[in-house]
Amino acid sequence: MASGPGPTQDIEFTLNGKPVSRTASSRMLLIHFLRDELGLRGPKIGCDTGHCGACTVSYNGKTIKSCMALAVQADGAEIDTVESLAGESGDLDELQESFRENHGLQCGYCTSGVLMSAKFLLERNEKPTAEEIREAIHGNLCRCTGYVNIVKAISGAAHGDEGLALVERLNREHAKEVSA
Amino acid sequence: MLLAAVDYYRPDTLAEAVEALDSTEGARPLAGGQSLISILKLRAASVDLLVDISRLEDLRAIAVADDGSVRIGAGVTYDEMAMSPDLHRSHPRLSQVAAHTVDAQVRNRGTFGGNLCHNDPINNFPPVAVALEATMHVTGKDGDRDIAAADFFTGYFTNALSSDEILTGVTLPALNGRHMGYQEIEIGEAAARAVAVVATSNGNIESASVALGCLPIPVRRPQVEEALAGTPATADAVAEATAAAGEGIEPLSDADASADYRQAMASVVAKRAVMEAIEGGQNG
Amino acid sequence: MTAPAKEQTTTTTWTGQSLPRKEDERLLKAQGSFVDDEGMYRQGYAQFVRSPYAHAKILSVDVSKAEALPGVIATLTGDEVKAMTEPLFQFAPKEDGSQVNEYLLGVDIARYQGEGVALVLAETRGIAADAADLVEVEYEPLPVVTDGVAAAEPDAYVLHDSLGDNIAWKGLFDWGDIDWALENADHILKIDKLHFHRYSSTPIECNAVIVNWDPGTDMIRVVSNNQFPMFGALVIGPSMGVGTDQFDFVSQDIGGGFGIKINSYTSIGVLALLSRKAGRPVKWIETRTEHHQSGGHGNERTFLDIEVPVMADGTMLGFKMRAFDDAGAYLHYEPLGAVIWSQVVPGPYKFKHVQVDYTETLTNKCPAVPNRGYSRMQHLWFVERVIDLVAQELELDPVEVRKLNYVQPEDYPYTTPNGCVYDSGDLPQALDMVLEMIDYEGAKKLKADREGSGKRIGIGIGTTLDSGTNNFGQSRILNPELPFSGNGEACTALLDLYGEVMLKLGTNPQGQGHETTASQVAADILGMSPETIRVWTGFDKSHSTYIGFSGTYASQFAVTGINAVIGAVEKLKAEIIEVAAYAFEVEQDQVELVNGDARIIGNPEAAIPFIGIANMVFANNATLPHEMAERVSLTCRHVYVPPFELPDVEKKYGNLTLTYSTQTHAAVVEVDEETGKVEILDYAVVDDCGKRINPMVVEGQVHGATGLGIGAALKETFEYDEDGQLLNSNFLFYHAATAMDVPNIKTSHIESPSPFTGTGAKGMGEGGGAPLHTISAAIQNAIGPGKAIVSDSHNPPERVWRMLNWDGPAEERGVTVVSNGDGA
Ligand SMILES: Cc1cc2nc3c(=O)[nH]c(=O)nc-3n(C[C@H](O)[C@H](O)[C@H](O)COP(=O)(O)OP(=O)(O)OC[C@H]3O[C@@H](n4cnc5c(N)ncnc54)[C@H](O)[C@@H]3O)c2cc1C
Ligand code: FES
Ligand code: FES
Repeated sequence: MASGPGPTQDIEFTLNGKPVSRTASSRMLLIHFLRDELGLRGPKIGCDTGHCGACTVSYNGKTIKSCMALAVQADGAEIDTVESLAGESGDLDELQESFRENHGLQCGYCTSGVLMSAKFLLERNEKPTAEEIREAIHGNLCRCTGYVNIVKAISGAAHGDEGLALVERLNREHAKEVSA
Repeated sequence: MLLAAVDYYRPDTLAEAVEALDSTEGARPLAGGQSLISILKLRAASVDLLVDISRLEDLRAIAVADDGSVRIGAGVTYDEMAMSPDLHRSHPRLSQVAAHTVDAQVRNRGTFGGNLCHNDPINNFPPVAVALEATMHVTGKDGDRDIAAADFFTGYFTNALSSDEILTGVTLPALNGRHMGYQEIEIGEAAARAVAVVATSNGNIESASVALGCLPIPVRRPQVEEALAGTPATADAVAEATAAAGEGIEPLSDADASADYRQAMASVVAKRAVMEAIEGGQNG
Repeated sequence: MTAPAKEQTTTTTWTGQSLPRKEDERLLKAQGSFVDDEGMYRQGYAQFVRSPYAHAKILSVDVSKAEALPGVIATLTGDEVKAMTEPLFQFAPKEDGSQVNEYLLGVDIARYQGEGVALVLAETRGIAADAADLVEVEYEPLPVVTDGVAAAEPDAYVLHDSLGDNIAWKGLFDWGDIDWALENADHILKIDKLHFHRYSSTPIECNAVIVNWDPGTDMIRVVSNNQFPMFGALVIGPSMGVGTDQFDFVSQDIGGGFGIKINSYTSIGVLALLSRKAGRPVKWIETRTEHHQSGGHGNERTFLDIEVPVMADGTMLGFKMRAFDDAGAYLHYEPLGAVIWSQVVPGPYKFKHVQVDYTETLTNKCPAVPNRGYSRMQHLWFVERVIDLVAQELELDPVEVRKLNYVQPEDYPYTTPNGCVYDSGDLPQALDMVLEMIDYEGAKKLKADREGSGKRIGIGIGTTLDSGTNNFGQSRILNPELPFSGNGEACTALLDLYGEVMLKLGTNPQGQGHETTASQVAADILGMSPETIRVWTGFDKSHSTYIGFSGTYASQFAVTGINAVIGAVEKLKAEIIEVAAYAFEVEQDQVELVNGDARIIGNPEAAIPFIGIANMVFANNATLPHEMAERVSLTCRHVYVPPFELPDVEKKYGNLTLTYSTQTHAAVVEVDEETGKVEILDYAVVDDCGKRINPMVVEGQVHGATGLGIGAALKETFEYDEDGQLLNSNFLFYHAATAMDVPNIKTSHIESPSPFTGTGAKGMGEGGGAPLHTISAAIQNAIGPGKAIVSDSHNPPERVWRMLNWDGPAEERGVTVVSNGDGA
């Protein structure tokens, strides 16, 4: 009842593979439910208007901004957050590891959302170009990295070692294309 | 940024949704929520009951008819539009626009119907519906009715629906060899936007439909369309015919751009949209 | 944890390697701890009631309806705060003692949109929001002042009666002999006006505080993301009538700061008062809209009546101008910005004659606070604008004019006209490198090819300085009575009971990787892997080490923080060696530290692991001589103090900063003539911050500063309408740069070690606002001579479009050249 009085609903859904069944205030946003009621730290809040993407989670396999959905809309859905990435062992997955190796994060506040967007991209497009990566994360604001190493990290995860070289090359090609 | 108290109801059928809207004071359909939830966070509208129509199967199909027209359910998300092979064949440029609307997260949630009903001047699809002369299918307590796109948009954030009505789908006429151009000036979401649907033959423009967005009501530009009809499909001729596209419109002035600039840009995007449609024709 | 596997030998150096960061694993797994991830037992949620008016008398505040709402714990009004506290300390009262009176909450008058006028505390966030809506405040609107220059006019409406006018600080900076220069120059370039706009780095995590004023102990525990809590304590302590010893500041992970998060100290203070009143811990998470309206903005500066004496060959002698800084409604950290810019008076150039008539004013806007590049980037943008306009108007090559005027490699250490000492660098080489990176010749050809196509190419250069490690003595130029000078940072290095090495820092980083870089330098000294060194995560005043300057701000960790680490770890090493030498019964110079063992040089068999050393000192001390057992603590604190002297306050002269990193940027842009839209085709940076401790971290800082600067140059601005309403109060209208706006940034570097820091490292990170200089220059280059000049640091499409379509008379271009000899 972290949002106070008003109507409530009983909801059941799957969170990171585990069933959840709770009562949620109808007016409560999904992000507040995940954080305040279920104690997750991954999804973050960075804005009021759906622009920053820090709250990005996967909803039935597709990313959404959890500040732009109600908790009660989770009913019956499968929701995955960044907490689902590292396996049972707690080891970083390939994508996370690539962020670490390529310094794809600084303060880390945007990172949960960026990782979820990157994961959604890579599920659909195994070998994205730098431009496709930029499009895929442009609903995620990062104020620390200038995005350079985020793009590198995602590309590194997708393309392995050549990924980094590829980013450089694609960017050069892009520069040429624009100027052609 | 927390919502005021509100009730929530997720009906299983369209009839139940209409019934809920009709019988509850202050009820409002909730589709993708990508605009409505923002408004509720700002406590800028008072809503007592949200009727969640986002999972209604009736609203979620894309269907191509024999005549080549396509009916897009109001609840179809931008992402579903972008991923639909049918829409890609019937209205390729629209499919592309859907694929680049806002960002991945909003595309996964925002609906074609919500975008049209909300009629925010920044919204992508109202001028598309107008330029294509779409038909809006509506269901309310008194049954079904169709509304022409040109009559659907009534002002800032308003439309021709009454409070018990739901937009169920939109029929876009077949392009029949015409091509669509869609151009905008991206400042913030967008400062100016134009959609053109053009038929060419033998290097001349046969007919053109040109609509401007980023306005309280998306408008057709009949004078421009007349000037275009019959002219050579060349950059110079199009520039001349579209030069006055912005005349008479009253765009808003805000932190992103002044009305003067937006008006000047209306002609620029109109020209570019027509040229894009022509080039689309040339490229097959 | 997978730091590169590497056989550790005494000759290996970790410093200088691009090690992945220690911080990352927890952050990637959402195991970081940001303020909103934390809570305190029995906490309530606070919500501010904020003024919708930019300027209004507060006639009454009625909290009765809010207090009647079930779930509301307490409320707090400005009147209550006024009764409980003193006005906040001000840096520079006028000579007659008049000053701004600011309380921790708006009292009697609200002076900017979003100023807090009341607070409510409730059991949940939702109830707090509902209750805030029920607080009834009666306002009487007052005239609004939004123009930082007009605010100084004698007839301007005065914001603060206690001050008498809207002038926060005023002073004449006069070095060299500008009159002589203006008389003897071949040409004088006159520019009417240049304007550096208001924006903010808008960290994605907004301000956040959890505070508990414990009624039993009178201790005030503050869990927050404030990035300079010591400063906050110094300001709010006296106002609240509490000692700094009562404050326990805690922070772990901070979601970006960029200077802006220095500003939350007033919120911390008033939330503490609310906690005391309620007898409960208070949690407050600022919303994005609150952050934009009241969290703090970067400084806006207007330069007027600029005169630049230039010789025929392009040698610039200096400049003269009037500058107006708009501090907003209250002075938060200001008016320090009124002197901070003077760390970089001539920019990277050898100008000798400079006169600046400087005024800082108060307006009905959000208070200005430090923002990445604080106060220097405004000035450096001005200097770069001037040099480009000199080149354009005198038909000189912007590359050659720069090279001619740069401080040359052989000039270092170079003393500026106001006594600052530039430590090292090689600007001509950096410029050559960066031009090659953007294929300057190719870009020029592209520019020529594109003429008449509707798309214009512009090439821009921006050279900037990132001055780090302030001499706080510069604050005395504002007010000679101020008891501040020097700078420093602390570190404690220790062995724990089982011999584990641990470092405690005084900083509270926001993504700068301090845990990693500190462990790298410590590893080299102790001869072990950084992986095996624990750097205490976050800051906690009750057990971290600190001095008054501790915090993370102003590009200084690589100097102050790292030198504190080195000093502390060297002391620890000496103690370990002393104990080991005693045990081995050898001289101390016979002992070396390798991989966590102390051993006799040349005899790897004779080794005592650190656990053994720790055991002797902590749990087995009868084995040591009594004197040694009492003296050696294996807990070694060091305070690094940079070698500063007090500046000459009269002449406004002295060394104000220890190090000067340089950055040279170049961009190729394409300007769409029809729309004014600017697209960046190519962007390159050459960074020179001396010795780089972790190149990957350094590059990350370069990328970050560049991304923010590009956003500011093209998309991000805070603008107010004439009623003082902020037009960009959230991300709907504040267009923070996305991944689609920032191009791939090519980076390269030079390492010119600083002779003043021991390690050769220089502070870096703020970046000096170079993208603003560079993009202004590139747009100017695209527009070309004869048109309006780029006179604003923010250039959205409409502004560029207006410049392209400008067809006014030549004398209204905003720039003229008068040649001495033309009878000027
Ligand atoms: C960060 C961000 C940026 C955005 N930028 C853009 C942009 O550039 N271009 C753009 O086009 N859009 C933009 N949007 C808005 C987005 O496209 C919305 O999704 C859209 O405006 C509304 O669609 P929805 O399905 O989310 O509707 P909702 O938000 O659920 O509803 C919007 C309104 O329409 C009504 N409504 C919805 N569906 C129906 C129906 N079937 N029948 C009757 N009434 C209905 C609702 O009651 C409500 O009043 C942006 C959104 C965000 C969060
Ligand atoms: S918090 Fe959800 S988009 Fe910003
Ligand atoms: S790493 Fe700080 S916002 Fe992205």
